[in-house]
Amino acid sequence: MALKALDIYKLLPKKNCKECGSPTCLTFAMKLASGKADIELCPYLDENAKAVLGASTRPPIRLVKVGVGERSFRVGDEFVFYRHEKTFYHQPAILFRISDTWDEATIAGVVHEVRDFKLTRVGQDLLLNGVAVANDSGDPAAFGRAVAVVEANADLPEVLIADDPAALEAGLAHCGTFRPLLDGATEANAEAVCALAKKHGAPLVVRAPDFEPLVALVQRCTALGVADLVLDLDAPTPAEFVERSSAVRQLAIARAVPELGYPVYYDCSKAGELATAALSVGILKFGSVLVTGPLSHPETVAALTLRQNIYTDPQKPIQMTPGLYRIGNPGPEAPMLMTVNFSLTFFTLQGYLESTRIPCYMLIVDTEGQSVLTAVAAGKLSETVVAEAIKKFEVESAVEHRKLIIPGYASPLSGAIEDATKWTVMVGPRDAADIGAFLETEWKG
Amino acid sequence: MAYDAPTDWSGTIGRVQIGATGSEGGTRKVSYRIGGNGGLPFVEPNDGLTRPLIAYELCDDPAFWSPLVTERLGATAADLACWTRAAEMDFGADLVRLYLTSTRARGFDDFDGIGTAVRTVLESTDLPLIVEGPNEPAIESEAFRRIGEAGEGERLLLGTAEAARYRSVAAAALAYHHAVIAQSPIDVNLAKQLNILLREIGVPHEQIVIDPYTGALGYGFEYSYSAMERIRYAALKGDGDLAMPMISSAIDSLTIKEVRDAPPGEEHRTAVAWEVTTGLSAAVSGAAIVCVRHPDSVAPLRAALEATWGSA
Ligand code: B12
Ligand code: SF4
Repeated sequence: MALKALDIYKLLPKKNCKECGSPTCLTFAMKLASGKADIELCPYLDENAKAVLGASTRPPIRLVKVGVGERSFRVGDEFVFYRHEKTFYHQPAILFRISDTWDEATIAGVVHEVRDFKLTRVGQDLLLNGVAVANDSGDPAAFGRAVAVVEANADLPEVLIADDPAALEAGLAHCGTFRPLLDGATEANAEAVCALAKKHGAPLVVRAPDFEPLVALVQRCTALGVADLVLDLDAPTPAEFVERSSAVRQLAIARAVPELGYPVYYDCSKAGELATAALSVGILKFGSVLVTGPLSHPETVAALTLRQNIYTDPQKPIQMTPGLYRIGNPGPEAPMLMTVNFSLTFFTLQGYLESTRIPCYMLIVDTEGQSVLTAVAAGKLSETVVAEAIKKFEVESAVEHRKLIIPGYASPLSGAIEDATKWTVMVGPRDAADIGAFLETEWKG
Repeated sequence: MAYDAPTDWSGTIGRVQIGATGSEGGTRKVSYRIGGNGGLPFVEPNDGLTRPLIAYELCDDPAFWSPLVTERLGATAADLACWTRAAEMDFGADLVRLYLTSTRARGFDDFDGIGTAVRTVLESTDLPLIVEGPNEPAIESEAFRRIGEAGEGERLLLGTAEAARYRSVAAAALAYHHAVIAQSPIDVNLAKQLNILLREIGVPHEQIVIDPYTGALGYGFEYSYSAMERIRYAALKGDGDLAMPMISSAIDSLTIKEVRDAPPGEEHRTAVAWEVTTGLSAAVSGAAIVCVRHPDSVAPLRAALEATWGSA
């Protein structure tokens, strides 16, 4: 149940000391009421106020930060079960798992891969997020060495995977100030691991095989002073992961069980040969921190594309600002190609145009972010839209000729565009991949 | 699990039979009854009990097919009977989906040929069959009649009905007791409208499978995923005109930029990663049948679906 600002205010210390970052207790109360602040920002709350407010004021799923600096990531802070209801906000982090039984060169190789991998799609840089170091050896010293190798090779967020608090401590000796995620606390080791998390200000994975023990463990860890928790639902199969994480998401956003209001962790490598399937399922079904064995290049590209798709707002396609764009240094005789302002279309065409090495212009018209075919079918691409763009972006002063190349799929509009603009329309190929050949033969020829 | 997820679903997805065994009047080794779900995959108890099926797509004229597949298969792709047998025996598909691409040739008039193609596939496999007819209005009436007739008794799944052209395929389905694929472009309302149109000309719900149109991963899949969830959700909330099982085929997967421009030697693995990721994701959003074209996609997709649903 959400509380009103005044009800919250009644529970606050009313010192107006500003330590929470708000000018007064009342403004802090208003922020809490709208889910924009966290009660822990006020150091003077009594236990009763904490208990009452803790559950009802913070965002339904806590925002948790892992790592520091440029590559650090934040997960959680989600509000819906279906992405069509709004959107998903914080895409899951994907981390490659490294074993402390590997030699230094192998570890460094994977770290470099994670550090350097970059897939540019639709104008966005898609990255892997970090590495998870696992204490497979059982030896704290070996674990410490592996973490040191990671630290020596990159500033990436890390997950430290070890049941043994001594191993975690050995790892933390190398990265303790960089907010690594500790994996993690179980019923058996909670006290010791919480002490480490608290000491280093590190976020913590809590793992239990069922919801009731998980809730109990969360209560224990928060009571021990660790607030940044991530839930490991300990699913033995991808199927069980979907089932459990779906239930956690529903209960969390309904604020029905506040102890489940944390991001979800999934070590996909536990699914063995099916790790890539587990990874897809984790991306689709509310996973927030996903650990997997190193993936092949095609698998990485597919996984990052899936993540980009699922975390794109389906109601708002990624759009380009309409306008006149240049490829290379086009002169007054350079080709003028028209297309829509859907960013996928723009970047696809731009990529192929760049590889032709022919300087040219791209006239991007406003179709509200719809692709060529979609815009033609929906009537968003029309002769009026094109004529307006030619005027607005002063296209007639950019080139001396009056020849406009339109997408092959826009061919039904060619006559109407000619009438409305008095330009000569050349219908280009349907597939942007064929644009080079088209420019060579049709434009130059 | 100790807590029940808070859902308020009353609807159930209807069942559609595909394929007919000997005792059902056909010659198939198995027949499937897809649908029957009372929730989203794994969200309600009793859902996710039946693993989504994998249809392997092939065609009667490989000139219209992805070179990635035809090169990989070599002579097999040139012989429809061989290709069909491989789909069942070597690749391990649950169903075969035959595209009659021969009908796309200019001036097509070989109606006997397509009847033969359907019979060849039926004779080369024991699996249930999906058949994709032409999309050329001038020939579709006759073509669908021949297809329907060639598969009489086998309870084919016939494709594809769209809002602008659904009569011929529906007529063939009604005359020869087949099921129909109803395709609409990524929109819950359009899917519903088409189902109503089909209902009005007499196609019962038990003979309709919804195809909400699947854009390839990175090329519209973000919309398709939510369209499928919305269709399923509307049905669970009680909308009977959307309470049919869904089929998903991301047919553009083998021609998208990532696959075409994959680093040398990685084309096939990229194609497979794309088909498997899309197929699994479509299944998670509610599809009962997912389709692939690359022969190497079937096994990993099957493993992924089995890991998520258990074996069928
Ligand atoms: C995703 C999608 C949607 C998304 C929108 C995505 C978007 N931002 O545009 C949503 C779900 C919203 C949607 C809605 C609709 N869609 Co839609 N959609 C698609 C889908 C699956 C992919 C589109 C896409 O992303 N393509 C990728 C981009 C890069 O392609 P592109 O812009 O065409 O660019 C390529 C070429 O045109 C060329 N090119 C581009 N610019 C230029 C310029 C030059 C000079 C040259 C030479 C070449 C060139 O290069 C690119 C790469 O080759 C397609 C199916 C398909 N395979 O295309 C259907 C599709 C386009 N949609 C269709 C329809 C009918 C619709 C709706 C009208 C349905 C309806 N009645 O409501 C609505 C319209 C929206 C509205 N009512 O406002 C139909 C169009 C049918 C037709 N042939 O006319 C399609 C083909 C699906 C189908 N088979 O039924 N759609
Ligand atoms: S820190 Fe606490 S006491 Fe101080 S102003 Fe903020 S709410 Fe009031």
